Parts: sequence; structure tokens; C-alpha cells
Amino acid sequence: MAAKQGAAATTYSPKIMARTRPPIFKGSDLDWTRPDGRGFHQCRPALLQTGAVSAASGSAYAEFGNTKVIVSVFGPRESKKATSYSDVGRLNCNVSYTNFASPTLGSQGTDHKEYSSMLHKALEGVIMMETFPKTTVDVFALVLESGGSDLPVVISCAGLALADAGIMMYDLITAVSVSCIGKSLMIDPVTEEEGCEDGSFMMTCMPSRSEITQLTITGEWTTPNINEAMQLCVDACSKLGEIMRDCLKQAASASDE
Amino acid sequence: MVGVSFGEQNFIKGGIAQDLRTDGRKRLTYRDVYVETGVIPQANGSARVRIGGTDVIASVKAELGRPSSLQPDKGKVAVFIDCSPTAEPTFGGRGGEELSSELALALQICLLGGKSGAGAGINLSSLLIKEGRVCWDLYIDGLVISSDGNLLDALGAAIKAALTNTAIPKVQVSAEVADDEQPEIDISDEEYQQFDTSSVPVIVTLTKVGNHYIVDATAEEESQMSSAVSISVNRAGHICGLTKRGGSGLDPSVILDMISVAKHVSETLMNNLDSKISAAEACEDDES
Repeated sequence: MAAKQGAAATTYSPKIMARTRPPIFKGSDLDWTRPDGRGFHQCRPALLQTGAVSAASGSAYAEFGNTKVIVSVFGPRESKKATSYSDVGRLNCNVSYTNFASPTLGSQGTDHKEYSSMLHKALEGVIMMETFPKTTVDVFALVLESGGSDLPVVISCAGLALADAGIMMYDLITAVSVSCIGKSLMIDPVTEEEGCEDGSFMMTCMPSRSEITQLTITGEWTTPNINEAMQLCVDACSKLGEIMRDCLKQAASASDE
Repeated sequence: MVGVSFGEQNFIKGGIAQDLRTDGRKRLTYRDVYVETGVIPQANGSARVRIGGTDVIASVKAELGRPSSLQPDKGKVAVFIDCSPTAEPTFGGRGGEELSSELALALQICLLGGKSGAGAGINLSSLLIKEGRVCWDLYIDGLVISSDGNLLDALGAAIKAALTNTAIPKVQVSAEVADDEQPEIDISDEEYQQFDTSSVPVIVTLTKVGNHYIVDATAEEESQMSSAVSISVNRAGHICGLTKRGGSGLDPSVILDMISVAKHVSETLMNNLDSKISAAEACEDDES
């Protein structure tokens, strides 16, 4: 939304300075330095807190670099949408962005309508639905600031919130994504890297059971790249699982005191 | 669909374990594929694909539009899927919405590639007319008429055939124009350019039933699945997209194995589909 030349500028908004990749380097080894100085296989440091929302049954707040997400879980509670009896519980997920989450006002929100259904699919394989028949668990995720790798952070934070709410699950759920730019793979991309990536690999897994519950790959990938990306993701997910467990243990011991 | 009894469930699972499915196919064999192109005259391109009892129609319409400000050098593609109530009574009203959006999302992931456009089945830069001002918007619509399993593969094949059949009119743009005004566009009625579909991938869905994977599951086999992985492979043998459906978790080695199986299966499917599509196009040219 740049101001028109010659016309009176009615509003000013900063133009997004997209870092352009020189097209002649496409496909060959790019000399890409990550904006925050991380190594290619280094994730952002994670800040995780439970109990962020006192009104909810369980909640969690996660900060991964500039991506800040808060998730609250309500339930199991009576579902107003259900019309018939079901002997398994229902899960209802919603992911929304605040208007100030991205540099451009509100326009990014429409691209992410599918995040709610992707979060639903990631969670439905982990939650033991038969432990809360006839009722619904509502998961509401709000992205306060979008700094890249939004959906994996939302999924991990939702897993933490569900654990905080005491919903029975097969395992903690963690998610991580890997971007492919040229020939290099980098884990946990930021918005800038996601904007010019050649392919993305997003994986949700249960670290202790070493099982993948959701996998989404876009872009063109060769088999060695897929192997490497899968290895990176599995390692990162198990480390993230450890961090989540520590956070939950701290919260539990703090409430005991 | 009538529910499957316990005995039938065991029969399906046992048969798959022994490489003999209920309709006599092996685990990695596709049903016969029938392709017809040019079924919708008003669309720029269209195709109808039948795989066994699954019947889908895909149509491609191109309209002039404005490129998005984030990517001013690329055209736009939108994929919509409609599950008609003729396929299943439950699809009427809002019932088929969840399935439609899931299929549309999976197709977008498989066809559009990474953000920079690498590995995309459709080259978005070829849809550009004037940078930042005018581009082609492709609306790809899929309609599911009859569903007997494996909807994603059928839709992928139909979209591939429809894109091969797509003819986009040639456009003349007036060069000198002030910054604020829309450039004058002259759309030719006579000359058309065929769409380049050499990099459009095929989608292979592998359904895991018990400990084995099958390709091209029928509706009753799908009711027994634990999870399904849909992999799109292009002619070069590279993976262009992957989505996993179904709740149960899969070991990483299983997924890597599925990827190699899918690559192997996709070669025969791609060749089969290409020959069927060119036969259908030739047939249509003869008729018109």
C-alpha cells in the first residue's frame, strides 16, 4: 500500500522490504545468512508458559523468536452444535490472527483459514476422544505476532495447553517445519525465509512414541532432502518435547507449593 | 454407503495382507482410468475422469485480474472443489464442506509448489501479462459426481487433463499508459495458446490398512484405513507435495517407504494418464 505519486497521500504504511533473491543463483548454492544469525540447523529459543489464561480449563503461551501465540482450551464441556449422541468426544479448533500480528494490516489473515482444519487434524490423532463422550473440547489459538513458522508453534502450544487442561492424550504433540532454499535446508524459518522458500516440510509428531501424526510437504523435494529434513524434524521435535515436559513439571511443582 | 460388517472388515484386511483385494486387484494396481476432455464448452479447459466408480469433472476458467501486491510478477490460481449430493446424500447442504476444503487444500499443496514457485505444477509467471497490473486468474473447479474412494487421485488426474485441454486467449496490451490507469487490453478471439503441462504432477494416494499399503482404495477399503498419505510426483521423479490424512501416527521409516513406493507407482500412472489424455485430446479434435 504505497502512497500514490502525485496524489495526496491519505495514509502512510511502510512498504514491506522483501529481501529479493538474485535470480541467477536459483538452484545453486546460495550464500544465505539467516537474519537472526542462527545456524541452518538451529531452532529459535523457546519460551513456554502454562496457565496464561485463568478463565480457561488450560492454556499456554509460547514465544519462538518473534512468533507469539496464546492457546486456550475449554472443556470437556457441553457442545451446542452436536445434534446426536456420540460415544466419542468432539474436538473444535479455531486459529485466528490479531489485526496487528503481521506488518500489513489484516491482509495476512485471509491466507490462513486452513490453519484451523490443520490444527484439528494434528490434534485428533493424539487426543483420546473416548475419554470424554458426549462433550466437546474447544481449542482456541490466537497468534499475537507472526514471525514465521506460525502453524508449528500453534500446534506445539496447543499440545501444551491440552496437557495443562488435563485432557488425556497418547503423548505430547510437537511440530516443527523445515524450509528449503536453493540446496540448503533450514529449520524453523522466519517470515522472510518463508517468503522466498523453494519448499516447506511441516511435521507434527509424538516424540516419545516417535510417530508422525501430520506431514505436509510443498515444493519440489529430492529423496535425500526429504530424508535429511525428516531426521532434522524428528530430532528437533524430541528436544522440543523435553522442553515442554520441563515446563509442565515446573508448573505442577509450583502449584504444589 | 451401507456399513461394513465385522466379517467383511476382516475379509478386506485379510485380502490386503495377502495381496488379493476384494475386486481381485493387487495392492499396487490402479483401476481402469477413463479420460474425456473438452466436456464443458464454456470453460477454457475441462476434463472428466472415471476411476472405477469414482467420477469427477474438472474445469479451468481464466479471467483477467490484478496480481497480488506481495507477488506482483505472478498470476493467481484458485482451486475449489464441490462434492455434489449425487455422490452421497450426506454431501447436501453443508455436509460436504469439510471434505471439499480438505481436498482443495491438498490439491493446492500439490499443484502450486513452494512460495518462490519452485516445483510448481503450474508456472505462475507464465500467467503474467503486465507486471503489477494485469495477470490471468485461473479458477480450477472440481466437481465430484460419484464417489467410490480415491477422490484425490481422480481430481488430480482430472485437473491435469483439464490443464492440457486449456487454451488461454492471446492478449495484446497497450504499452504507454499512465501509472494509475488500467492498461488497455485486447483479448484475441482467434488465437489461443495451449497451457504448458509438462510439469503438472500426478497424485498417488497410499492407504495404510493393517501393515500394508494399497493404492487406489475403494470406498469400503477407505473405511478400514488407519491413515493415508497422498504424494504428488512430477515427471522428473521428484516429490512435489505430500499430505498425510487420517488420525493414526506413522513411523518415519514407514513414510519414507511409502514415498519410494509412490514414486515407483507414479511412473506407470503418469505414462498411462498421459497416453489417455492425448488420446482424449485427439478424439476431441476429430469430433470438432
